[in-house]
Amino acid sequence: MAPLPIPDILFVIASVALITSAVLVVTIRNPVRSVLSLVLCFLFTTILWLLLQAEFLSLVLIFVYIGAVMTLFMFVVMMMHVDKRMLSEKFVSYLPLGVGLLVVFVGLIVYALHHHNFTKAAYVMPHFPANYHNTESLGAVLYTHYVLAFEMASVILLVALLAAISLVFQGRQSGKSQCVDKQIQAKKKDRLVVIDMKSEAP
Amino acid sequence: MLDQCFALLWIIGKIICVLVPVIVCVALLTLLERKVIGAMQVRVGPNRNGIAGSLQPICDVLKLLAKELIIPSKASRYLFIIAPVLALAPALAAWAVIPFTNDWVIANVNAGILVVFAMTSLGIYGIIIAGWSSNSKYAFLGALRSVAQVVSYEIAMGFTFVGVLLAAGSMNLREIVLHQSGGIWHWYFLPLFPLFVVYWISAVAETNRAPFDIAEGESEIVAGFHVEYSGIMFGIFFLAEYANMILVSALAALLFMGGWLSPFAGIPYLDHWFSWVPSVLWLVLKMSFFIFLYFWMRATFPRYRYDQIMQLGWKCLIPVALVWIVLVAVAVQMGWIFH
Amino acid sequence: MHMLTEYFSIFLLVIVGLIMGVAPMLLSRKLGPSRPNPEKLSPYECGFNAFEDARMPFNVRYYLVAILFIIFDLETAFLFPWAVSLRRIHWFGFVSMMLFLAILVVGFIYEWKRGALEWE
Repeated sequence: MAPLPIPDILFVIASVALITSAVLVVTIRNPVRSVLSLVLCFLFTTILWLLLQAEFLSLVLIFVYIGAVMTLFMFVVMMMHVDKRMLSEKFVSYLPLGVGLLVVFVGLIVYALHHHNFTKAAYVMPHFPANYHNTESLGAVLYTHYVLAFEMASVILLVALLAAISLVFQGRQSGKSQCVDKQIQAKKKDRLVVIDMKSEAP
Repeated sequence: MLDQCFALLWIIGKIICVLVPVIVCVALLTLLERKVIGAMQVRVGPNRNGIAGSLQPICDVLKLLAKELIIPSKASRYLFIIAPVLALAPALAAWAVIPFTNDWVIANVNAGILVVFAMTSLGIYGIIIAGWSSNSKYAFLGALRSVAQVVSYEIAMGFTFVGVLLAAGSMNLREIVLHQSGGIWHWYFLPLFPLFVVYWISAVAETNRAPFDIAEGESEIVAGFHVEYSGIMFGIFFLAEYANMILVSALAALLFMGGWLSPFAGIPYLDHWFSWVPSVLWLVLKMSFFIFLYFWMRATFPRYRYDQIMQLGWKCLIPVALVWIVLVAVAVQMGWIFH
Repeated sequence: MHMLTEYFSIFLLVIVGLIMGVAPMLLSRKLGPSRPNPEKLSPYECGFNAFEDARMPFNVRYYLVAILFIIFDLETAFLFPWAVSLRRIHWFGFVSMMLFLAILVVGFIYEWKRGALEWE
């Protein structure tokens, strides 16, 4: 018997599951479940990227997107109280805009698919030599050839950091926290005064 | 197709060969922990079932299995059931890339350390979902605290990994160990000592163990995120926690203590005398040391306060790790160490 | 192709891990009793009924920690390939990463001085 084309089977399963969970993200009413289906989306994307042998990026997708970004989404969704009635009202009022965006998006995809380099021949499974190190090859160009983009990423991260702190953090509330270095530095003479006074009759 | 079936069976065989010892280890650890802490506090620990309490783990499992599974009426049913599974699966999956000897590993991937990092970062979903779906205040607060803590220490842990990668120049755990061969003075815990300390502290915090077990601080928020779980569902959280403990111990041994390499390599007579010891035994011994360290820390240190935990992670461990990474990188570039 | 088989075994282990989580629960459903009553199923709250919804708004600090975590996690993601390929990219790669770190350390210092790392 011919060997089963397991990568192809996995590709089909993962893409169908990816599309299904992507549809679930927008159709599920409960926001927490919606975020969880987004997590599923990322997991199936990981499988697709692994099939392309993009080892580093697919693992980064797990620990940055699922591990960090989705955690933030969970926090946000858990924090706000979503009124379900309001959601359905907004759904109707935003419908024309959504349909418009959909048309533009589908148009873009059709254009891209018609583009001459999107042929089946250009999209075969990549084959790499056995000693190919995905991460190392990535590192060899990222910090030298693409150094400008790399430094720009750090500036973007810096802006995100500053923005997050100034938006979210309103400064220290009058806390009761102890200040250890002040405690240690306190001297006896700052706290205690010994006064000489005569004893008084009651 | 027949070949593929054999390959599949071979992989499943390897998985069983790794998972069964891990689970047996967890069972033994539950007993050992109570015995060790008992001894440290001048008590006997469990001693009723079997010889010196040796059947205690089996009794515990049977008891947990025979208990009722309670799903609180206000809980989100499916998420509540799924949460322990989500805590366990990543804790076990990370074992795929852990090499036990030179050629005994389930999946010898190039980015092994990255797989472990990705899997540990998935572990927080079990906590978040358990806390949220329980619909109980204690569980919710416990989950929040736990997630914020795990997430903070994960960064420090990632930085220590970077230090090891700088030294080894590879992400493959097997190659990282092989780079440390040639005697105990080649092990990374010496040149990377600050990172080793940072790694161990963040590993303890990451697994929510004492003295960083604020998430399940019995005296204030009862049991943290799994307060509503009963019977075997609690047992699965327990299994996940212990599997994670063994995992980070194994990782500590692989990254900093030379993995399965003999500590006597390169020493004239000792090397020869201990050459009969199978290499996997060295790894097990090193892991046992780290696991013992867990129990020792639990018996010794009082619990940290939450603000102190967060300050330690962000203001001490992260800066220390970052500075040491830069120093190691300079040393590597100058060609002083790790050729 | 070799890489895919290795990752396939990790994939299998994830599935085995999921089964290992589900199987004991199914077993326990068979073995354990099931006698629910309203008191038993009520959420735990020190002996009296819950006052309000447990899913309450919480301190914004947790949200801030999550954002900071994303930023530092991305930083680690950039550090990993750098550490692996440092011997190949020489001083140029080294300096570019130092610049990257320096820019982010500015943010870290700001965050520290602003008191965003203090918990009370």
